[in-house]
Amino acid sequence: PRPDAAAFSAEAVAALALLWLLVCAPGDAGCHPLTVADLFDRVIRHSGRIHSLSTALYEKHFPSRDNELGRPARKCHTSGMLTPNGKEYAQKIPREELTQVILKLLQAWKEPLSHFNQHIEHHQELPDDSLSKAKQISNMVHELKTGVEKVTEKMQSMGIISNSLNGMASSEGTGLSISNEANMMSDSDFIHCFRRDSNKVQSYLKILKCRIMPENSC
Amino acid sequence: MGVHFLLQTVSVGMQTHYEVSSLKAGVKYIVQVRCMLDLGEWSEWSSERSIQIPKEQLPPEKPIIIKCRSPEKETFTCWWKPASDGGLLTKHTLLYSKEGEEKVYECPDYKTAGPNSCYFNKKHTSFWTIYNITVRATNEMGSNVSDPHYVDVTYIVQPDPPVNITLELKKSIKRKPYLVLTWSPPPLADVRSGWLTLEYELRLKPEEGEEWETIFVGQQTQCKMFSLNPGKRYIVQIHCKPDHHGLWSEWSPEMYIEIPTDFRVKDMVVWIIVGVLSSLICLIMSWIMIMKGYRMMAFILPPVPGPKIKGIDTHLLETGKSEELLSALGCHGFPPTSDCEELLIEYLEVEDSEDQQLMPSHDTPSKNTKIMLKETDSDSGRGSCDSPSLLPVKCRESRSLPSALQTQDVRAKEKKGGKGSWDTRCMASEQKTLPCESIKTCTWLAAQLPSNQAAMFAYHSTVEAFKITLNTTNVNNSPVLVGNEENRQSLYPIAETVYDDVEKVSEMEYSKTDQTTVQVRQNEHSNKSPFLNPKLMDYVEVHKVRQDEEPTLLLKHKENSGKTKKCTVPGTSKEYTKVSTVVDHHILVLLPDQRSQNTPVSQEPVAETSQNPQQSQAEKNTSYSATAPSDSRRDTSGSDYMDPSSFMPSFK
Repeated sequence: PRPDAAAFSAEAVAALALLWLLVCAPGDAGCHPLTVADLFDRVIRHSGRIHSLSTALYEKHFPSRDNELGRPARKCHTSGMLTPNGKEYAQKIPREELTQVILKLLQAWKEPLSHFNQHIEHHQELPDDSLSKAKQISNMVHELKTGVEKVTEKMQSMGIISNSLNGMASSEGTGLSISNEANMMSDSDFIHCFRRDSNKVQSYLKILKCRIMPENSC
Repeated sequence: MGVHFLLQTVSVGMQTHYEVSSLKAGVKYIVQVRCMLDLGEWSEWSSERSIQIPKEQLPPEKPIIIKCRSPEKETFTCWWKPASDGGLLTKHTLLYSKEGEEKVYECPDYKTAGPNSCYFNKKHTSFWTIYNITVRATNEMGSNVSDPHYVDVTYIVQPDPPVNITLELKKSIKRKPYLVLTWSPPPLADVRSGWLTLEYELRLKPEEGEEWETIFVGQQTQCKMFSLNPGKRYIVQIHCKPDHHGLWSEWSPEMYIEIPTDFRVKDMVVWIIVGVLSSLICLIMSWIMIMKGYRMMAFILPPVPGPKIKGIDTHLLETGKSEELLSALGCHGFPPTSDCEELLIEYLEVEDSEDQQLMPSHDTPSKNTKIMLKETDSDSGRGSCDSPSLLPVKCRESRSLPSALQTQDVRAKEKKGGKGSWDTRCMASEQKTLPCESIKTCTWLAAQLPSNQAAMFAYHSTVEAFKITLNTTNVNNSPVLVGNEENRQSLYPIAETVYDDVEKVSEMEYSKTDQTTVQVRQNEHSNKSPFLNPKLMDYVEVHKVRQDEEPTLLLKHKENSGKTKKCTVPGTSKEYTKVSTVVDHHILVLLPDQRSQNTPVSQEPVAETSQNPQQSQAEKNTSYSATAPSDSRRDTSGSDYMDPSSFMPSFK
């Protein structure tokens, strides 16, 4: 059980540290090159923090869970994305595809999050601490995306995955259309969808790590 | 099918059919019919025909979905609870639909998970998808559907408890045991692929304890416990949950572990030895305290010493050993006071039945002068200034009496600034003093001894010590005593001061009396007339000394004009300040003062004392002293008294 309130500030610091370390280039003084395993651990931890934040936000918004789940017409803007919905599928698809899915997801949430921040500041629907959490989420997602990109680059440089990530450009395009849909989501839907997608990212990252490096605590 | 014995007879009439209503459901009825001819007899009842009224049939109630759980995040199971089935056989069906799809599926497996359950295998389990699950109960009368239950499998994961729990006791460096727990994740959970990450928590308590100690251990599968009490039995349990939102598993079965007591014989022996030794030490200490308690108390709290005069031992005074006392006084350099302060008091004790008194006085300061009065009398009041018997001769002047002597119960009185103390004494006794007839201060206080007792004087002087013990019988011819009243006749013990100095003042003054001449006789003289007329005198002062054949001691009356004086000191202004002896019980032998030859005035300050001629002992040859035999006596130091018989004069 993690105390949410106390962890957030620490998480922000850790996120910055993550960013710094990912940007660190080999050869700098006092800068040790990180292995892929280390990088993966960091991004996985970061995604876990994001998920915890979103869960806290969700539980504050939906005190009673089960009944709210079935509200009709709950549709996330990312529902159209093809994402593996189980372990087997996640293990079956190629690593590159899995990596791409992760990046797509992170990309898809970039803009809706910023939009959400602007939105809730005016509407005051959420309590104050939720407001701060939402703002934190936005930053952290950005950092996570950067981190995953770094890991991807590392993997590609190491030959773990091929360089066939040309679909990024297209994902950018789809991301825009998706974002338009996201603007029409209600706040509760927004929170619900984001919580799910953060869990997806975390799970995909874990599987990817254990697929690439099965010996490290897998 | 209860047995009812409700007999109801209904008259039907001519019909051959009858409708019975108000039948109870679930009851078996027996019907019989009989008939009767017109007004005839009834026939026999027909045979029994029974009919069972069926129970009430209703459509089934709504079933309730209890829960859905996934043990490993790959499959899940849902359980429901059927309601009343309406008396009929009811069939339940579970239907579900997924988020975003319209199609409704039926439960793929009703059996695996037991009755009233539905098991979704891996194929049918989708994650990050909300399932809409309902259960339908159907019987002949109808069907009923439960409320929908929405479930996202990701968040209903409740793993099995951990397995392979091992408890091992290991010993650390200091032979302290610690517990190492290890366990394995539940077998179904796929932790290796990273798909499911579990977090563990363990709890333990002593077997007799009530509260569990819960410890969160995170994702590790082993734990070391250090703070366990030896000799106790502990119960340990572990459970786990998925790292993201999920549910805790059940607790693992209880595991028992006993911590061995770290009990070594060597430690016990050490403690036993320590205990025995300390008890021994306590016994010894208490014994010592008992035996030497007093000494220790004296050591810790030393008694406060009483005041002590250096050189004087109170015990000596009490025991009457004046010799030692005097020796203590004289031989140890009793510090002489200043001239002005030190009072030399020379007491002459003179028994005089005619109230003649000798009043030697000496106001020269002399150090080491002490008045020692030993009274054999038991009257303690003796000698004080306030004593009625005291006849201090004191000058009216309130001048200090530097040389006034007090005869008191001076045992070990220290001389303070002689002036003041003397003053008070003298002042106190002023009332009893004779009128002072001289400016000179009184220098003599006599304590009165009871008659028939000789006063014992102890004195010490490096100078000639003059001790006089007078017998009462010799009062008549005794030197003059100072008396308070004229007609007082009593013995006045004279306390002699001890002079270390030669200076002695022996003054005698006759007050109220006629001039009394002190016949100072030379040595060759003998058998002189009484040396002093026993008369009352204020003070004694050697006024003049005639160096004629008959040196006389003249009593000075400095201010008393009434008194006759004989001032027959020719030439020299010798002053005789020292009474050397008493001769024939009535002759006072005075010694001239060598030092003050040309100074009749004493060396003391004017205010203080009268001018006491002083004599130095060196003038012995010129002194009018008693015979030799008495010299030795005179020059004694330390003897208690001088036998007057020794003074049997032979003035030569």
